[in-house]
Amino acid sequence: MKIPTAMDDSSVSHHNGGQVGSEIGVSVNNKQNEESSQSVQYSIPGILHFIQHEWARFELERSQWEVDRAEFEARIAFLQGERKGQENLKNDLVRRIKMLEYALKQERAKFHKLKYGVELQQGDMRPPSDEPPVEPEPAERTQWKQGRQLIKQYLQEIGYTDTILDIRSNRVRTLLGENSEEQTEESNYRNCDKHRYSTNTAVGRKRMMYDYGGKDQQCKGAVSGGYNEEGLSVQENAVFANFEFLANQEMDMDEIEDLDTKQAHHTQIKQEEVDHEAEEVLNELNLLTETEADGGGQGDEYVGASDEKPLALGELAQLTVSNEPEAYDVAGASKESFRKTWNPKYTLRSHFDGVRAVAFHPNEAALVTASEDHTLKLWNLQRTVPAKKSAGLDVEPLYTFRAHTAPVLCLAMGAPRSEECFSGGIDATIRVWNLPSATADPYDPYDAAVQGPVLRDHTDAVWSLSSLQGRLLSASADGTARLWSPRAARPLLCTLRDDALTASNAAPAAADFADAATRAAVVYNDGTLLLYDLETTQAVLRVPCSSPATRVRSHPSLPVLVTAHEDRHIRFWDAVSGRCAHAMVAHLDAVTGLALDPNGLFLLSGSHDCSVRLWNLDTKTCVQEITAHRKKFDEGILDVAFHPVRPFIASASADGLAKYALLVLVSLVLPTYRVYPTCVAVSRRATGTPYEDASSRPPQWRLRFVNDSVTSPPVPID
Amino acid sequence: MSDGVLRRNRPGSKAKDFCRWPDQPIEEMDNTLAVQQLIQQTIRRDPSNLEAILKMPEAQEEGVWKYEHLRQFCMELNGLTVRLQNECKPNTCTQMTATEQWIFLCAAHKTPKECPAIDYTRHTLDGAACLLNSNKYFPSRVSIRDSSVGKLGSVCRRVYRIFSHAYFHHRAIFDAFEKETHLCKRFTHFVTKYSIISKEILILPKLDDETPISQPVGESEA
Repeated sequence: MKIPTAMDDSSVSHHNGGQVGSEIGVSVNNKQNEESSQSVQYSIPGILHFIQHEWARFELERSQWEVDRAEFEARIAFLQGERKGQENLKNDLVRRIKMLEYALKQERAKFHKLKYGVELQQGDMRPPSDEPPVEPEPAERTQWKQGRQLIKQYLQEIGYTDTILDIRSNRVRTLLGENSEEQTEESNYRNCDKHRYSTNTAVGRKRMMYDYGGKDQQCKGAVSGGYNEEGLSVQENAVFANFEFLANQEMDMDEIEDLDTKQAHHTQIKQEEVDHEAEEVLNELNLLTETEADGGGQGDEYVGASDEKPLALGELAQLTVSNEPEAYDVAGASKESFRKTWNPKYTLRSHFDGVRAVAFHPNEAALVTASEDHTLKLWNLQRTVPAKKSAGLDVEPLYTFRAHTAPVLCLAMGAPRSEECFSGGIDATIRVWNLPSATADPYDPYDAAVQGPVLRDHTDAVWSLSSLQGRLLSASADGTARLWSPRAARPLLCTLRDDALTASNAAPAAADFADAATRAAVVYNDGTLLLYDLETTQAVLRVPCSSPATRVRSHPSLPVLVTAHEDRHIRFWDAVSGRCAHAMVAHLDAVTGLALDPNGLFLLSGSHDCSVRLWNLDTKTCVQEITAHRKKFDEGILDVAFHPVRPFIASASADGLAKYALLVLVSLVLPTYRVYPTCVAVSRRATGTPYEDASSRPPQWRLRFVNDSVTSPPVPID
Repeated sequence: MSDGVLRRNRPGSKAKDFCRWPDQPIEEMDNTLAVQQLIQQTIRRDPSNLEAILKMPEAQEEGVWKYEHLRQFCMELNGLTVRLQNECKPNTCTQMTATEQWIFLCAAHKTPKECPAIDYTRHTLDGAACLLNSNKYFPSRVSIRDSSVGKLGSVCRRVYRIFSHAYFHHRAIFDAFEKETHLCKRFTHFVTKYSIISKEILILPKLDDETPISQPVGESEA
């Protein structure tokens, strides 16, 4: 990630480190020179300072390295994916060639039938003359076998195995199966004249004889070719063997066609595409048959006969080339079908009114939601109630927290293992809750111990809470942000107030800890961003902004603050200089929710436009969009959250539902820091069915920007 | 929105400004939560105006209307529960009773149980929340099957017991809450208007404004 702030900071700290280092270097010299007076040069704070700076520098460098590594790994993944794509393409082309050959054969068979009828009227003596080629000589057989072996090797080399057939080729086959009849008939008529013309020639007659063999005609043709012209090269033999190989495969082909008819409804959806493809195949087919016919026409000459097959091959080669762009399209289309859409895995419906905030448990698959219906609810995502088939899973709340006397607006989860959470609301109180165990029954007797201390210093609605290292930061409409030690005898640690802003009636909209909990970033509803030093409670950085802000989050490892604004923007600020590092229009309406993943690689945002978007912080591109919520009045999404350690995200909305999705953001959970820009959600697989809303909207979690590199492997057909 | 007003609660706004926006006519509400929005904005305007609150818009499906009202009742009952939590202890109100005539068993359990009053209250509300939000019975907020509408009756019956317990055992709380929200009056009016529960079950005396109900008649502890 090329965030200049990191560079600035690292260089600064480097500089500092260098200074301290040189100082120490000097002192070391002194020490060597006069050992007795060295204590003057050393001081514990100085050393600590130095070590701190060094450490900070290394941390920064490390994070940069990690980011670089992630980038490279993404690149590798991309290249690998590309290679795979190329291979698939190759396989596809080979298969297409075979299919065309197969179609050609079928067509010849038909053509022969037609012609046979004609010749029957003429009263020819063809049938008996057919006998000899049916019995090929042993020498020929071995030659075939060799050739077959060779072609098999060749096919294996290019990566074709019978068992791996991907959907793409299958579809082409479907098309072939559906269209082969009319194709062959058409080409039959087209080629009829030519063939009639060529019946007079010797080779033409010969062909008729071979054709009598029906499906095996081609290889027989090949055999007789080898029989008559000894000058045939091994290569040609291989080609002929291939033909026989194909003939043997015909059974398989038929089976696949059967399969295809079963999948007919699939093809119908893609009919347009198929039609286009059909045309292409048809053209190719005609081209081929024409060359065949031409070859047949000049077949009685030695040169003509030996030229025939290479010519056909040449056409095939040309076909490959001309097909390339189209094949790419096909590949793209099938990859489209591989793309997994993101579905909400669970819908948490038990609130009577809009859900204002959502927070995940620090390590369990549990979350707490806070709602305008005055309650908080605890959900254990591992205890689900199977719902209707169409609707994914429903989760029933484990516990309902009742104590607020007005809508609850914000939530913060306590430190890991503290099993506590905090909530603040319109009633100006901040409440501490002891979370019931994840196995509690919702209908257990009432336990008053769930309610912890109540912090009542705010005088107006509490809009934002943030918890870190046992401390709590709150932002309230009374114009202050406060720092708490929630369970202490005197919980209020300090009050952060800015006189100028209070005078202008601006109130904090959100607050977050920054800079390893030594500072607090507070955004005000007039757009101002203030960075308070928590020691001195003085503002150390002031950044004005024109648009009212709704959220602020500080990056977990970089000195970057992210703010959400009502003017649809998300802005990134350098927490050291206050410079706007980046600003982007992120939504169609006011941005209301922000969450950073624990590694600081992804950003989740929610908006009143009812969409949740996932951003790659590196490229600042949207990698996923989810629109599963509905509006109440003009409010849409109100909060979004990342699970700290598990691959979950959640969104809370004014429609009273909290939705929760399972993501397989591998990068988010694996310590190896592997980045898959295409990280695909598998919630559909996990739930078995796509999410379907009551209003039967289509599933709408889908990958927006997918780097095509990492897609799932071709699906084997069984 | 057509009138150019954004009905939103902006972070940082004062408590008194919460949801304080001009009313939106029902015909302009074009989303699935229109009925809830209408009910809430009417209540917000004046919680004591029962007629206005229960006046169903024309062309409104009655099932949905009743369903949304019941949701609102259960939601506001949280407020009563919060107050009761501080006073109605399991050791004082060991059973869910109103008058001495009946002991109500808590239906939230596999086999109905004699829960203490506060647990009965909480379990009933939690159960109602689950039922009313159940994707099985109430998958839509726009239209509701008749079979599901039938479920509303039992919820109403149980919810009414919360009022009656509060009335007979925690009169001070009940009165303070009622003065603020008029919830019980609204609820009684609601169930009578739509004949959801029979008159015999409505054991509370008529809560008319003229009757001086602000004086606690004496809290019975049993």
